[in-house]
Amino acid sequence: MKLLDFQSEFEKVLDRKHFSAKVHPLREKAFNAFLDIGLPNRKWEDWRFTQFKNISQKFYKISEKKHSKITTFNFAEHNISDVDTITFYNGHYKEEFSDSIPEIQLLNGLEYLEHYNWKYDYPSDCPFELLNTAFMDSGLNIIIKKGQSIKRPIRFLIISSGQDELMVSPKIHIDIENNSSATFIEHHVGNSSDFLINTSIQIKLLENSILDHIRIQSNSSKTTNISNIKVDQSEDSHYNFFQLAFGSDLSRLNLDARLNGKGAECSLNGLSLSNKTQQLGSHIITNHYSPNCNSSQNFKNILQDKSSAIFNGKTVVHKDAQKTDSRQSNKSLLLSENALMNSNPQLEIYADDVKCSHGSTTGALDDDALFYLRSRGLNFLNAQNLLIRGFASELFDLIKHDPTRNFILGKFNNWLNKNVKL
Amino acid sequence: MLNIKNLHAGIDDKPILQGIDLNIKAGEMHAIMGRNGSGKSTLSNIITGRDNYSITKGSIHFDNKSIMDWTPEKRSLEGIFMSFQYPVVIPGVNNTYFLKAALNAKRKYNGQKELDAAGFLKIIKTILKELDMDMSFLQRPVNQGFSGGEKKRNEILQMLTLEPSLSILDETDSGLDIDALKIIAEGVNKYRSSKRSFLVITHYQRLLKYIVPDFIHVLIDGKIVKSGGKELALELEEKGYNWLDS
Repeated sequence: MKLLDFQSEFEKVLDRKHFSAKVHPLREKAFNAFLDIGLPNRKWEDWRFTQFKNISQKFYKISEKKHSKITTFNFAEHNISDVDTITFYNGHYKEEFSDSIPEIQLLNGLEYLEHYNWKYDYPSDCPFELLNTAFMDSGLNIIIKKGQSIKRPIRFLIISSGQDELMVSPKIHIDIENNSSATFIEHHVGNSSDFLINTSIQIKLLENSILDHIRIQSNSSKTTNISNIKVDQSEDSHYNFFQLAFGSDLSRLNLDARLNGKGAECSLNGLSLSNKTQQLGSHIITNHYSPNCNSSQNFKNILQDKSSAIFNGKTVVHKDAQKTDSRQSNKSLLLSENALMNSNPQLEIYADDVKCSHGSTTGALDDDALFYLRSRGLNFLNAQNLLIRGFASELFDLIKHDPTRNFILGKFNNWLNKNVKL
Repeated sequence: MLNIKNLHAGIDDKPILQGIDLNIKAGEMHAIMGRNGSGKSTLSNIITGRDNYSITKGSIHFDNKSIMDWTPEKRSLEGIFMSFQYPVVIPGVNNTYFLKAALNAKRKYNGQKELDAAGFLKIIKTILKELDMDMSFLQRPVNQGFSGGEKKRNEILQMLTLEPSLSILDETDSGLDIDALKIIAEGVNKYRSSKRSFLVITHYQRLLKYIVPDFIHVLIDGKIVKSGGKELALELEEKGYNWLDS
């Protein structure tokens, strides 16, 4: 898809009757900024490993009203027990397929922009963030009020479905006010044809608040999934992120956590499972702006066949961020000689009283460990499986909600059964 | 039980074992002594089926069956066990899960019913007590953060759980203090019976004070140069290995 193609689709957006013209200036501003920056290419440092042909050689149409009708969809297949669900279908918020959650404030459409007094702030340095704002199908704002502790996880079920090749742009804002806590599950599903799923999630954590964010990328293996997540953290707030990614042909998680207030903590974790010619990328930035903050990045990859994965992790400790404690780790397991891991852990430190560590390892299953297990009677397949499970297990332990953890373990086991063979 | 004839083996083109003959009958305990690099560990690795060695000549029979083509797991299921010189750390896999999987693989192979968690715990509790090991051992990842002595005890725990007929103890005494050595020796001695055989591999005769072998073989440059009874250990302790060099 070339810039001109985006232009022609954008003009269709402006003609759409069911969207308020009041939003046009916002869209236009973002789209013009996108045209100025242009699409990324391999000369951009942060994009040099990304297989861009998935986007450049394809054409995605905007998601029209007819694409938002749910005709047949098997919800049961994606059911996680003990959660409340908010459904998006091909980019559109579907109130009639969503649970009502009285404890939270939910704003959508124009309410959402009015809430911000039309002073809508969006990240402007990433072309896909700009595209998301220009093309957004539904805007949704979730507010957890001061002092509220929401025990039951809230799930965004983001469905991509249908035969047309679409570009969908869901946009979600999450505000967690002072002394409140919640768990969000971002669950990407659907058997769509070749889609461009371009999600933007902006999270604000106010003082002393806690958010657990679990992302499950299990959408169709034909899609391109670009995920833009930006997190702003105030004093003593905690953000815990875990992702299990195995869906998509090409995916890119752009996660940017900013520790703005002192004593804030973030723990960013992910497990990517890739096969065939998939490319799954994790581009993670942690910015320490204030003193006494802790952060960790722990991303693991398991690669089969000719698949590839990217870990581009960066921790920046700015000059006022004294007493920072940060850890960064990327470990990858190659199950095939043809798989390719691109690992690029980076540290930038401008303060002098900090504790930072980083490391990366990539390799095949350990022969000594395989022999050890086999010498105890486990067959080769079981020995492999046990080692792979052991490799991943510490990440699953981070998921506190039992039904969600079991659901994710089920997906992981399915993947192993299909992809680890003799 | 184990019958090795004229075994020649090496890594790549480098010969290590140069004609080993060894016959271990049911109920016997044999010890192999020798310096570093004499081929002791190669021999135990080859018996247990490690695949990075090439066998150029000779045969290995276990219970009168040739085992040369058997996978490591088949050898284990048939009753061959090795206590590793350097037990491997398996991060993320707890000891209970591993031991239960191993025991159930064996039970399944022998046509027995697989054990559930409760049934397994009942068996393992008794063995832990015998080895003076705490229950918390079971919840820790396999060998991760274990001291040298704990790792070796964990090996013997596996031996007592899997009940092999041939146990190879590869440098089991290294890294053990005297108290741990006594506990392990006690565990091994209790396990001795007329149906079970052992091959103990060691540098020093220290271990052989507590686990007394029926036969001792001295391995030098990939060949057994001398065999004898338990008294040979004392002679080696006194004179070293040099008097046996040709």
